[in-house]
Amino acid sequence: MSNLLKSLFRGAAPLPGETGRFAMGLSGVILLLAVLPILTMIVMSFSGASNLDFPPASYSLQWYQAAWNTFVSPDASDVLSLGQAFTTSLLVATLSMLFATLIAVPAAYALVRCEFRGKAAALQLMSLPLVFPMVVLGLALLLIFDSLPFQLNTSRLVIAHVILALPFVVRNCTAAMLSIGSEVEEAAKMLGASPLRAIVDVVVPLMRSGILAGMLLAFIISFNEFTVTYFLYNIDVMTVPIWMYSRTVSSLDPTVFSFAVLIVLIDFALIWALEKLVGEGGVSF
Amino acid sequence: MSGLVLENVGKHYGSACAVTDVNLHLPEGKLVCFLGPSGCGKTTLLRMIAGLETLSDGEIRLDGQDIGHTPAHQRNFGMVFQSLALFPHMTVGENIAYPLRLRGVSKVDQQARVTELLQLIQLQEMVDRPVAKLSGGQRQRVAIARAIAARPKLLLLDEPLSALDAKLRESMQIEIRQLQQRLNITTILVTHDQREAMTMADIVVVLGEHRVQQVGTPIEIYRNPANAFVADFIGSGNIFPATALGSGRVGLPGGAALQVPICESIQAGASIKLLVRPEDLQLSLPQASAGNCLPGTVTFVRDSGATVETTIECSGVSLTALSTPCQSIGLSIGNPVSVTIPAAACRVLTA
Repeated sequence: MSNLLKSLFRGAAPLPGETGRFAMGLSGVILLLAVLPILTMIVMSFSGASNLDFPPASYSLQWYQAAWNTFVSPDASDVLSLGQAFTTSLLVATLSMLFATLIAVPAAYALVRCEFRGKAAALQLMSLPLVFPMVVLGLALLLIFDSLPFQLNTSRLVIAHVILALPFVVRNCTAAMLSIGSEVEEAAKMLGASPLRAIVDVVVPLMRSGILAGMLLAFIISFNEFTVTYFLYNIDVMTVPIWMYSRTVSSLDPTVFSFAVLIVLIDFALIWALEKLVGEGGVSF
Repeated sequence: MSGLVLENVGKHYGSACAVTDVNLHLPEGKLVCFLGPSGCGKTTLLRMIAGLETLSDGEIRLDGQDIGHTPAHQRNFGMVFQSLALFPHMTVGENIAYPLRLRGVSKVDQQARVTELLQLIQLQEMVDRPVAKLSGGQRQRVAIARAIAARPKLLLLDEPLSALDAKLRESMQIEIRQLQQRLNITTILVTHDQREAMTMADIVVVLGEHRVQQVGTPIEIYRNPANAFVADFIGSGNIFPATALGSGRVGLPGGAALQVPICESIQAGASIKLLVRPEDLQLSLPQASAGNCLPGTVTFVRDSGATVETTIECSGVSLTALSTPCQSIGLSIGNPVSVTIPAAACRVLTA
C-alpha cells in the first residue's frame, strides 16, 4: 500500500501554503473514495453476523471458515466448484498473458521503428477496447462465437481477454521500445547479427521491463475480468469472478467477501511484484 | 584495385540530396578521415559504406568485389557509433565477445580473444563490469575493442569522440591512431573537428555542400586548399578579394599592389580570391612600404598567452596575423604597423 501511495505522489513536491493544504485534502478524499470499497469488503469478511448489514454487529472468522470449507469440500449444490473456477481463471489468465505479449512485442516494435500507411489508424484501433462499452463488446463477441460452426470453450475467454489486455500490453511495450535507440540495433547488425537476431539479442532484452509490466497487467486484467466474461462463460468454463457473482445472486453469501479479500491480496502481490521487477516509473496503466 | 573503392556514390531522399557523386579510393591500412561541417553528408556516406543505408546511385567495391548491396551484417566491418551503442544489458566481456558468439567461436577462444583485447585497451580487470559502471573513456575503448574483436576488414568510426571532454578527446585521438597503426586496419573516421582530422588521418576527404571538395594528406589540404570552401573550413585563413594586374601583380581593394608570382598566368583585370594563413604574415614596426610589405593599422589584439592574434586593417582588407609572444612587437589598437605578405605563402582560390 505504501508503495502504491508513493507511486501516486511520485515526484510531487508539496505545494506551499493554502493551495498545498487544499491539494492535500482533495487527494486524501479521492484516495479514501478509491480504497473505500476494499475497506468495506475487508470489514465485511470479518463479520460475525449472518446478514449483510454494514457495519457488522459482531466480528469473527466464520466466513473464512466457510470459505475454506467450500474450497476443500465443494457443495453438491454448486454447479461448479471454486477449485475448478480457480484453475480455469489461472489457465485463461496465463494464456491471455502469453498471447497478448506475443502479439504486443512485435506490434510495439513495428509501431516505433517502422513508418507505414495507416499507422495512426492502427494506434487508434489498438486503444479502442479501452473506450468500447464492455457490455457491447461482450455481446458482440458472443454473437461472433455463436455463429462459428465449431464450439469454443476456454479459448473464447482467452480471445476476449487478449482483446481487453492488448492496449495495456502494447502501451507498456511501446514505452519500453521508445527508450531504445536504433543505434544499439545497428551496432548488433554491424557485429554480424541478422536483423532478427539483433532484435532477439538486443532489443527484446532491453524491452524486458516493459514486457514484464505488460505481462503482469495482462494477467491481472484477465484474472479480474467480469463483464465480457459474463457473456461468454458456460456451465463447464467459469472464472472466479463469475463464480463469486453466481454465489451472491443466489444466496447473498458473505463467504464471497473472504474470497474477494483473497483475490485482492493476490492482485496486490502481483502489483507489488510488478513494481519490484520494473522499478519506479516503468508501468503505464 | 585493392582497398575500398567508391564510384559515383550518391544518396537522395526523395528530391533532397544527402550526398552525391562521390569517387574515392581508400588504400589498405590507411586511416581516412571524412571531414566536413554538419549536414554535409559525411555520416550518410559512412552509413552507406557500413550497409546501414542503401545506395541511391553508384557502386562500392572492396578488393574488387561489389558490396554495395550486401546487408550490413554480412560485410564484416567494425563500427563505433557516436553514442557508442554498447549493449547495456551485457558486461564488458559479453559486449566484446558478442561478435565472436555470432560467428560460432568456441567459448575458450572467445575468452582468449576478449582477454587479448582487454589487454590491448588496458582494461583487463573490467571484464565482468556492467558497461554502465564505466567512465566515458573506458566505454570508448570497449566500443573499439568490440568493433575490432572479429577482425573486421574495415573499421568505421562515426564521430566517436564527440561525447568526451576536450582533454580526454585529445589523448583518445592519439590512442586510436596508434592502435590503428599497430593493427594496420583500414579505418574511416567521420568528424567535423579539423584538429582531430589533422592529428589522426593519413588522408583527409573534405566534404561540403553534399559533395567531395578535396582529397589529400592533411598538410596538402591545409597548404593547398582546392577551393574557397576548403580554405575557409580548414584552419583560419585570411581570404580576401583582389584583382589581377598582369605579370604576377595583384591589386588589393585599397589600391596597394602585391607581387604574387603564381598569379602570372591570370589574365589582367580578373577578380580573384587570395588566401594567406595568419602564421605566414610578418609584422614589423612601421617602415617604408616596399615589395610585399604594406602599411596598416592595428584594429584588435587577442593575446591568449600562448599565441598573439593581431588584426590589421591594410589597404581595404582586414588581415589577422598569428605570432608567438617572443615574436610580438608589443602592438595595441590604433598603432601603425607594417605587414609583410610573403609571396610564397599566397594561394589563389577558385570560387
